[in-house]
Amino acid sequence: MFKSLPRFLPIQLASLFFLFIHSANAEPSAGRALAPLETGPNAALPEKTYSSIVRIEVATQVPNYNEPWKAGRFSGGIGTGFLIGPNLFLTNAHVVSNARRLLITMHGAARKHPAKIVFIAHDCDLALLEVDDFTPFMGLHHFQIGGVPKLESQVRVIGYPVGGNRISVTRGVVSRIDFNTYSHSRSDQHLVVQIDAAINPGNSGGPVLQDGKVVGVAFQGLRSADNTGYMIPTPVVRRFLTDIEDGRYDKYVDLGISDFPMFNPAMQKKFGLTPTSPGVLVAAVTPDGPCDGVLQKDDILTAINNNAVDAAGNILIDGEKVNMNEIVERKFSGDQVKLSIIRDGKSMDVVCTLKPFPPSQMYAVQYDVKPRYTTFAGLVLQPLDRNLYSAHNLTNTRVRRLFTHYLDEAIFKERKDIVILTRVLSDPVNTHLSGHVGTAIESINGESVSSLEHAHQLLHPEKLPDFFVIKCEGIERPLVIPGDKAEAASQRTQSSYGITTPANLSH
Amino acid sequence: MKLKYSFFPFFIALPLTLSSCCDKQSCQAGKGSDLTSQKATPVAASSDALTIRQSLVRINSTIQVWSASQPWDKSAPKKRRALGALLSGNRVLTTAEMAADATYIELENADNTRIIPAKVTAIDYEANLALLEPDNGDIDSFFEDLVPLSLGSPAKIGDRVDVWQLEDNGMPIVTDAVIQSVDIVSSFANGHFFLTYEAKGSMQSASNSFTVPVIRNGELLGLLSSYDAKDQIIDIIAPEIIHAFISDTADGEYIGFPSLGIAITSTVDPNFRDWLKLSDDVGGLYVTKIRKGSAAQKAGLEKGDVIIEINTKAIGRRGYYSDEQYGRLYWSHLIRGSLKQGDKVELTILRAGEQKTLTATLDRPEEPLVARDTYDQPPLYLIKGGLIFQELTAYYLKAFGKDWQSKAPLNLLDIMMTPEDYEEGRNKIVFLSAVIPTPATTGYERLRNFIADISSLIKAFEQPGPEGLHTIEFAEGPPRTIYLDAKISDFVDTELLKRGIPALSRQ
Repeated sequence: MFKSLPRFLPIQLASLFFLFIHSANAEPSAGRALAPLETGPNAALPEKTYSSIVRIEVATQVPNYNEPWKAGRFSGGIGTGFLIGPNLFLTNAHVVSNARRLLITMHGAARKHPAKIVFIAHDCDLALLEVDDFTPFMGLHHFQIGGVPKLESQVRVIGYPVGGNRISVTRGVVSRIDFNTYSHSRSDQHLVVQIDAAINPGNSGGPVLQDGKVVGVAFQGLRSADNTGYMIPTPVVRRFLTDIEDGRYDKYVDLGISDFPMFNPAMQKKFGLTPTSPGVLVAAVTPDGPCDGVLQKDDILTAINNNAVDAAGNILIDGEKVNMNEIVERKFSGDQVKLSIIRDGKSMDVVCTLKPFPPSQMYAVQYDVKPRYTTFAGLVLQPLDRNLYSAHNLTNTRVRRLFTHYLDEAIFKERKDIVILTRVLSDPVNTHLSGHVGTAIESINGESVSSLEHAHQLLHPEKLPDFFVIKCEGIERPLVIPGDKAEAASQRTQSSYGITTPANLSH
Repeated sequence: MKLKYSFFPFFIALPLTLSSCCDKQSCQAGKGSDLTSQKATPVAASSDALTIRQSLVRINSTIQVWSASQPWDKSAPKKRRALGALLSGNRVLTTAEMAADATYIELENADNTRIIPAKVTAIDYEANLALLEPDNGDIDSFFEDLVPLSLGSPAKIGDRVDVWQLEDNGMPIVTDAVIQSVDIVSSFANGHFFLTYEAKGSMQSASNSFTVPVIRNGELLGLLSSYDAKDQIIDIIAPEIIHAFISDTADGEYIGFPSLGIAITSTVDPNFRDWLKLSDDVGGLYVTKIRKGSAAQKAGLEKGDVIIEINTKAIGRRGYYSDEQYGRLYWSHLIRGSLKQGDKVELTILRAGEQKTLTATLDRPEEPLVARDTYDQPPLYLIKGGLIFQELTAYYLKAFGKDWQSKAPLNLLDIMMTPEDYEEGRNKIVFLSAVIPTPATTGYERLRNFIADISSLIKAFEQPGPEGLHTIEFAEGPPRTIYLDAKISDFVDTELLKRGIPALSRQ
């Protein structure tokens, strides 16, 4: 969901960490005794069941958004996965993102089984893997997906965290059920369950069990707090498994609205509400989003699919207060939701047909794709997205503003990409241009730039202009490259900076 | 929106005020002009020790700036001690740094036997000069045996100068220095550059050393504005600037240095020059911005023009011209050091390759949308029901500390960087700077920094609208509109006054 993004941006998620061991820092720490397992309803699993919880060894190639023509960094790590059906291993998307090689090892066995990704969902941090040869896994236990565990109920986390090579079991209680950020994409918020079991790097993708059933997938922790582990609860897992039934993962859908709590007495009075009235204010509707034309600014949203929405935008599901988006969270593209609203004092029902909203990908970290870029006479042009924003120190106020307001000001309608001049590779033709680095390209030879492809076309026209005049946003003085010198400069910079591929326009 | 990942185990901080409030004055003080922290090494008094003691006046000033986050408050007072040069008519010349935001200034003689309160009769924050006069007290006896200095004439590179200081005991210290170069330097208010001598000499620490007079041939040459202890370079405000300042004060009404009101960039880049059709025998400055209502705009100067001559002096590619007295000097001295308001200046320009001559009548530009040098001006604010509105100034943004350009609110930064995009229909920017939690502001606590339209703000509070509600419309959302209960907020306002906020507004 992208609804509160622009306001969420300044908050660093640095304190969230993945429970995935990167080989670079996989030094085992002091050994830790496994907790004794109790008997009873939450008793230890039969030894054989452990075999269904596998160690996933990943070799990755992480793209380089700083110098996008480079091969990227080769690294890897360890995570956990578990069998949920015939040749269906569930794990976290972040465990297998940017993977070049995947090897699965059964508990207590030495053999490494090559595996591949069947489905991957970066927005909810889940992936399904299969091994090339399932025969050795035949007859193993397939974990059942259970429900949402109650607060304070006991759960057990199994996986391959740091501290040893063999399987590890820890246990704890459910501390909190909340709607929270998934740090893998950094832009998605879904239901999460917080547990106090010791979960550590390497636990990622491992099952959280209660009464022998899976109630969650361990996926992230909080660095600044003790005993704070997070798991992906089963509604999110089920949604993922349902979404891929048609052979394709379609991503989450969202209402595309900004809500504002109805706490203020004057606000309530203005809209004819009382302190106990249900309903949250629709503060803005994302242009072209699913609710554009359905909801309006200043509507009071009182119910979603007959679930009453309170003044803070929460609803009650299964006895738990959760964000109203939870209703939409469980829906799919093409589904409809009924929205009960008060508009200008009149109650009415409207229907919103949910649909994916591609521009919101601006804020989601991209994986498994090659960075897009083009080069021209030593200038490096890249489209703005979360990856670029993290890789480059983009401090230009205009660029930051374009990024922040890309959705709510409908900038995406005019500009499929915000093209950034990320680098000037020094060459006699461009030595005086450093002040333009880190700004957004507004126009080339007078034509507004709408996408990276468009910029590429404008820089490589059939008929050479006398000058390429490139206007950067917020800078009056244009970049000027003589038409007849551009090609030679491109050649020179490509050979001297080792750019074997001068452009990559698609993922 | 919740600050989900910024919490700590034992402490949750939700600051109402600016997170990193840095005091502008204290930052300025740290830049090397205050010598009192260094170890004192007295030197022998020169033969004219008496003259020195009779012509120097100690200045003790108490400086207090306004709080950016709580604009009704002043921050803690700071003491600053300097030496002033006594001029005829009981006037004392010092730097603006000593007098800006001063709540109390006193003059003290060299022997520490007489003290008299002083007032600022003229101050120029841009040129860093201030003129003080005794305020009341026994003026005649304070000045009875003191001897005023006369203003000296411009020096040349290579000339020797004396820097006069006083020890605590009243003994003079004279430092011999040699003028090494002449440049255009900004010494106090950012972005204002004035003629400055740079002399080499080894200064010692002494009392009242914040700014000290520099003497040549027994006459006042200039004022030391800063000293770089590492390179032993003394920056001296040049006599031309002091002359212009003093003569401007003669009629009792200080106007200040004139300005063209333009921003420029160099024309060094050969490709840029080719595109501009500049021949090799001209230099030139490319005009990137022209301030609304400025002398340059009235003269018909346009963005994209290339200034090649100012008053028949050829301007080089980086903006330097040949000065008869000093050699290569930056063009701005032709306007801001040599001319005064009302003077005419002839600009020879190239527009689309064609040479034109424009005549500008110099004046002071109007106050910009975001005021820059707001020394001695308390921040303007308005409190209603706990909502704190302020008028945007550069001071407010810079109060976010060293990294203010990344820490200050993005929407406000954008206004400061590109005011021309916001100027239409506004003279000033008024924004919600903070919300005091009160019964009237329930639910609004986290709102910040939305740009309000000043007229809607005034209108809203003059008389409440229907149902006794104030309506506040922001230029940006969400939400775009909020409401305040008039009765509750009036009640809150009286309560806030009882709790120590001295006034609900400053206009």
